Amino acid sequence: MPHKYLNWILLLLLASNCSAAVANDLYVACHAGVPIAAADLRDVFSGERQYLQEVRLVPVDNLAAQPDFLLKVMKMNGVKYATTWAKKSFRDGLNPPVTLANDAAVLKFIRRTPGGCGYLSMQPPESVIVIGKY
Amino acid sequence: MTHRIRSIAVWMICCYGAYGVAGPAFSSESQDQRINVLEQKLDRSLKLIEELSARVRAFETQHSNTVEPAAAAENSPPEQQRLDSVQQQLTQLEDSNASRGSGGGIPLHGFADIGIGNHTADRPNFKGANIGAVDIFLNPQLGEHTRSLFELTFEVDEHGAVQADLERAQIGYQFSEAATVWIGRFHTPFGYYNTAFHHGQEIATSLRRPRFLLFEDQGGVMPDHTVGAWLSGAEHLSISKLTYDLFVGNGQALSSGTIDQRNGGIDHGGAIYGGNLGYVFGDTLSGLKVGVSGFRAAVSDDRQPGRLTRVDNAGVYLAYDTDRFEHLAEYYRFSDHDLTYAGPAHHSSLGFLQLAWRLPLATPYLRYERALLDQSDNFFALQTNGMSYFRTAAGLRFDLDAWSALKFELARTKNTDRLIEQWSDVMLDYTIRF
Repeated sequence: MPHKYLNWILLLLLASNCSAAVANDLYVACHAGVPIAAADLRDVFSGERQYLQEVRLVPVDNLAAQPDFLLKVMKMNGVKYATTWAKKSFRDGLNPPVTLANDAAVLKFIRRTPGGCGYLSMQPPESVIVIGKY
Repeated sequence: MTHRIRSIAVWMICCYGAYGVAGPAFSSESQDQRINVLEQKLDRSLKLIEELSARVRAFETQHSNTVEPAAAAENSPPEQQRLDSVQQQLTQLEDSNASRGSGGGIPLHGFADIGIGNHTADRPNFKGANIGAVDIFLNPQLGEHTRSLFELTFEVDEHGAVQADLERAQIGYQFSEAATVWIGRFHTPFGYYNTAFHHGQEIATSLRRPRFLLFEDQGGVMPDHTVGAWLSGAEHLSISKLTYDLFVGNGQALSSGTIDQRNGGIDHGGAIYGGNLGYVFGDTLSGLKVGVSGFRAAVSDDRQPGRLTRVDNAGVYLAYDTDRFEHLAEYYRFSDHDLTYAGPAHHSSLGFLQLAWRLPLATPYLRYERALLDQSDNFFALQTNGMSYFRTAAGLRFDLDAWSALKFELARTKNTDRLIEQWSDVMLDYTIRF
């Protein structure tokens, strides 16, 4: 095989490797027994919806995946998100979601917290409910 | 030889690239297995750390009587130092995890602003630089259902002295999203503005509140605060939301020309009670809220002991708050009666319209305020700022970052009865939140 073709193949394979790393999926998941609708996620993470029937919803942020979540689900940037919660706290006495460090911490929180909801950059196991994939 | 090495290198890179293509397809299927394996490894690591920690404690106990602590640290073998380091890291991790819990710590928020202008924002007879307010805000969540909210404000009065006011002090029990009962001192839920914007001016688009909605100690003529009980909630409909408020509290008093909320209770006079019903649109009209509100209060005053004025207020409001706009409109109608000397009703009306556009560089806004207040009504006649007026204002808000904003406002105000006068304001305000 001529070297020039081999080099092109190598470049394409390496490029595909890089693109696979960038185009991550985002999964929003909740504690088992909290089947909220995907359309309500924006309300849940902005404090507008605090209960699902009798269950108090406890959303948590994922520091590692937050930019992706704000872009894909909340449709806002970090500044707008912080301002939204500042107003919500000041008006209604609510606190913003606790921010956890990574997928493992969020998954552990969702598993152990009734009403817990969060988002992950990996597909969660079957022990939690996947609300949406973005 | 060189050719062979190059071939091996090429095949290795090909394998790496092929893994990049095919890897993700398989990775999702094995996520559970990977997590299980990682959890098992974590468990084994924790057990190992516990075993090592036990060995460290045993070692320390064994040598504590024979070796001085300083000497022990200097002469300790590398293995013990590593164990100490692991133990320290474990302690730090435990502390860190404990502090991350939802019940850990009390979130502290605050606001502050400094103004400068040819008049101050709420006292037209003062000019120059002025300290607006330093506002400390706490909302500890004390459990599954108990909520609390405290707002302590430090302000400078007309004599330059610092005054501390507990502007809000509420403890509430949340039964569900549809019902939260608060008791304490809260912002009276009439209209939209009074419960949407509080003492921290940073979250408001404009430089100052509408004049008639200024806080009582700043010259406002509405009972912005109530001390009592407040039931509020929201009911989600298919794509919209219904909100409601019901409240009852100590009837206010007029004292030294301002409204006294009677924080410590009442020895005479009546009560204030009322409600608010709002409808929040969804879908294409998302961001729009319309509503009605009303309250009735029995207000005493310090001019004539025993006199009571019944204040009846009805209002309508509209708020359109989106990423691009903040349009607000409120209108109130008063029908007040002197209960001691039965006479005709005194009618007054007041309202404002504010239009704001959230542009990329700044948020310009326009506001028009009008108050037509009956000067034979005790409720307004006994208030220092209870005269009729109109005000037009134009302003710009620059968001410097997520936590600070610079506001600039030009305004023209005219008092239209009692003491007719007019003036123009040119003001700048630097406001922050933290």
